[in-house]
Amino acid sequence: MYRSSLSGIIPLLVLLATNDATAHAFLDHAEPRVGNKVAAAPRQVTIWFTQKLEPAFSTITVTNSAGERVDTGKTRVSGDQMSISLRSGGAGTYHVTWRVLSVDTHTTDGNFTFQVGP
Amino acid sequence: MNWLGAGIDGPLVVVRAIHFAATAIITGTLIFRTLVAEAVSASARSAATIVRTQTVRVAWICLGISAASGMMWLLLEAASMSGFSLGKSMTADVLSTVVNETQFGTVAQIRFALAIILAGCLAYDRFPLARGLALATSLGLIAALAWTGHAGSTEGELGVLHLAADIFHLFAAAIWMGGLVSLVLLLSAAGRDETDAGLSFAGAATRRFSAMGTVIVVVVFATGIVNAWILVGSWHALIVTGYGRLLILKLALFAIMLLIAAANRFWLAPRLALPSDNELQLMVLRRLACNSMIEVALALMIFAIVGLLGTLHPAIHFL
Repeated sequence: MYRSSLSGIIPLLVLLATNDATAHAFLDHAEPRVGNKVAAAPRQVTIWFTQKLEPAFSTITVTNSAGERVDTGKTRVSGDQMSISLRSGGAGTYHVTWRVLSVDTHTTDGNFTFQVGP
Repeated sequence: MNWLGAGIDGPLVVVRAIHFAATAIITGTLIFRTLVAEAVSASARSAATIVRTQTVRVAWICLGISAASGMMWLLLEAASMSGFSLGKSMTADVLSTVVNETQFGTVAQIRFALAIILAGCLAYDRFPLARGLALATSLGLIAALAWTGHAGSTEGELGVLHLAADIFHLFAAAIWMGGLVSLVLLLSAAGRDETDAGLSFAGAATRRFSAMGTVIVVVVFATGIVNAWILVGSWHALIVTGYGRLLILKLALFAIMLLIAAANRFWLAPRLALPSDNELQLMVLRRLACNSMIEVALALMIFAIVGLLGTLHPAIHFL
């Protein structure tokens, strides 16, 4: 009886002890990485968030050093991941701006940069 | 609209609080009727009939409030999701995207269908099948709220645990809140009845509801701990964050409700069972009704806090 109760409680405690839950989507990591420098202009920017996103209200825009849009305008969302393709561009600082809606109805936004160059 | 410059969306908080409270009262009154009023009604037919009529009336009123606040909630969410003002977001394009392409919209559609079924059941409340279906539908209406908030977004196994805890938390809160509203109406009806049968009915109903209260408190407490662990995560976050402090305030209000409920159960309710003159019993009845009304007021404050908590970043983000 004691053993069976314990075997039911232990997974629950483990689950709670390893609690990494989040509510509201925040940037987890990105590719190219936030603030990093890459040798060649990437074909796309992908961002992973801490929570599942609503595709209808989640967007990314990418601009180059001159402030011109270099993304194709069509954001792709899958679960907690969002990406956008880029047109070919040169060296310089790229600005990524994102706005996402998580499934718990909360909107978050942010931006970061990455460098392209030797 | 930003309240107090603290990023609080005032209208959304108010609308959520009203919607949660109205939905909880619907579920709670229907459960109270089934598990309390009908179970002890044999002793006082007139008071029991009044309670039955009042239950349906309260359910209708709260369903109306729930529908109106639910509609307003959808419009406010459309504005928040789209980033437009409330006026600009009220277009077919934005509203259809929110309703058809978001989890909130899917839940809203399901709950709208449940509300229609519930209205039909209340209209045909004289049939036992309609009463049973109304009860089941009202449980669905309150349970579905779990998918509109933080619990609906937690992923993986922890997400299942979070959703289950939130659903049972909502059930227990609804049974307590709606039960208190029904208890006040029942005690008032019994007080007006002034017969021995009426007083006996009130006493039996109070003792039965108080006994249910023990189970409710255990469920509220256990599921509340799970929710708090997932969304707050530590004692430190509970103390230093605004989210955590609001949760402490909620717990304090809950503790006051518990004290009043304990006084009702262990002090007032037994007095109704003692043989004594009607005047004394009526006095106890009025005290019970008064205490229950205070509990209802405290529960409404808790729902206001719930309305706010759901719009804030959980404390666990600030660790």
